Amino acid sequence: MGLFEPDEIKRERRTLAGREISVAVTPPLGERSLLAAPAGLLKGMGVTMNYLSHPSKIVTRQYPENRATLKFPPRYRAMLQLVYEDSGYHRCTGCRICERACPNASIKIISRRGASGKLDIDRYIWRMDSCTFCNACVQACPFDALEMTHQFENAVYDRRLLIFTLNRYAGPPASVLEKEPDPQKREAMMEPRDRYGGPVPMSGQPIPDVRPLGPPAPSEADPAPQAQTERGQS
Amino acid sequence: MIIAAAGTNAGPYVVRTVADRAAAALPVSPLLSVFYMALSLAAIGGLVAVVGMFLVYLERKIAGHFQCRLGPMRVGPHGILQTFADTLKLLFKEDTVPRKADRAMHLLAPFLSLTATVLVLGVVPYSPSLQIVDLNIGVLYVTAISGLGVMGILLGGWSSYNKWSLLGAMRAGAQIISYEISATLALLVVVLLSGTMSLSGIVQSQASGWWIWRAPVVGLVSFIIYLIASTAEVNRTPFDIPEGESELTGGYHTEYSGLRFAFFFLSEFINMFIVSALAATLFLGGWMPLRIGSWETFNAVMGLVPPAVWFLLKTSAILFLFMWVRWTFPRLRVDQLMRLEWKILLPIGFANLVLASLVVLWNLYFFPGA
Repeated sequence: MGLFEPDEIKRERRTLAGREISVAVTPPLGERSLLAAPAGLLKGMGVTMNYLSHPSKIVTRQYPENRATLKFPPRYRAMLQLVYEDSGYHRCTGCRICERACPNASIKIISRRGASGKLDIDRYIWRMDSCTFCNACVQACPFDALEMTHQFENAVYDRRLLIFTLNRYAGPPASVLEKEPDPQKREAMMEPRDRYGGPVPMSGQPIPDVRPLGPPAPSEADPAPQAQTERGQS
Repeated sequence: MIIAAAGTNAGPYVVRTVADRAAAALPVSPLLSVFYMALSLAAIGGLVAVVGMFLVYLERKIAGHFQCRLGPMRVGPHGILQTFADTLKLLFKEDTVPRKADRAMHLLAPFLSLTATVLVLGVVPYSPSLQIVDLNIGVLYVTAISGLGVMGILLGGWSSYNKWSLLGAMRAGAQIISYEISATLALLVVVLLSGTMSLSGIVQSQASGWWIWRAPVVGLVSFIIYLIASTAEVNRTPFDIPEGESELTGGYHTEYSGLRFAFFFLSEFINMFIVSALAATLFLGGWMPLRIGSWETFNAVMGLVPPAVWFLLKTSAILFLFMWVRWTFPRLRVDQLMRLEWKILLPIGFANLVLASLVVLWNLYFFPGA
């Protein structure tokens, strides 16, 4: 072992409670190389000096003057949303794996017996007020139906506005809808959903000065052209 | 009194302190003498304000860049006016005293801390012509007065009637008193080498080479010991357990706000400046240019740079080192802190002192004749 080498960490097999397990062993204090500690400190100083001398490594972004040109790291996590296919259909089958994966119960899926006779989602409710943006739901989803977007400016004056219905329509996912050739039947299987509608705090109780976001109420528009416009926006 | 530079190698530098000028002017015109005194007071006040503000900004900026951040950016271009804004805020902030606190002591403590700091600034030799007073016991004075600063910290923590403050103050007391021993041992080595305690005298004794390298090994060892011990004395990471924010919220100044907090804060940063200035003075030759024995051409070229610039460069280098260390190293535990001092630094310091006496005895310097 060299004088400036960091201490070698050996792997040993030890019997613990009757079971043989692999452990990492560092040498005892007396056997460590004398200059390993100062060498380690110097190495750390090298790291910080590297940061100081390379301003290109700075990760802080200035904000809000440049919000138009703001660039995000690829894995930046903010607003959760359902992934929509080009056809405007989501991928969610309502299997509730994300609901179980959520560590603080921020996701609640209400399913219904749809027009096709099978179980599909009625409302995908996401509580941003308790969400920690841990990404567990996105990782758990077997259909890649969820994604974290970069929309981070979510401040509101009423916390009821932090509870969203994520799905734009109640109904089966794209995998089912795309197999149905008849547009009339497809339409029959889908029912539009409001972002703040349904069994969430804002439901039925208008908040003063707050215009509900998301698609208009079901009676005002039919779902198919609506899916068209939203595709155009995204 | 004009102290002529000792020997030919000291070059053209003649030390003339402000106190000397005032003393010389006293029989001729007392008014001029008073003017000199007022000038030095104003200079120290200005120094405290400017150095304090500049260091706070620098620290935040450098800390940011060490951690892949930007530091202050909003107030003024690249945040250069941030410290002014913060100072204004601290000046106008309400000065609160906890209900059960010992009011008189609580109010007194920050002044004690800042006074001890300001008193040292007067003896630091900034350049041959820029030093308020040169005491013949300069090193002893500095050690004694900076020891007084602990009183302010202890008093502040004690009188706040707060567990965090008390714990922080007690930790600070234990830490500063422990590390003062090592720092003083390192200073003693330089006193031994240069044969004087006057700070200007020590600078002049380094005319043919700085003590850090001119005294083989012992100079470097005592420099490193002094750096470590003084980091602990000014409560900076990795020795910032008296105010470790993750353990004690704010340490001894938890209960302070407004101007009094500013005093503690300021004295901390000025202390860092003082410690760096002393390290530069004692080990790196202070305002003395880089001179190597009898290399006349080299010495002449180095001599073109004014002494005050040399002092500033060396002090800033050490200040930067302090900041670099602070934003790299993790904080020590209390027991590790004490072990480092009493079991490692202190024996090395004593051995180093003995070695230094041998170096002096047998004249083992580089350029012994110089």
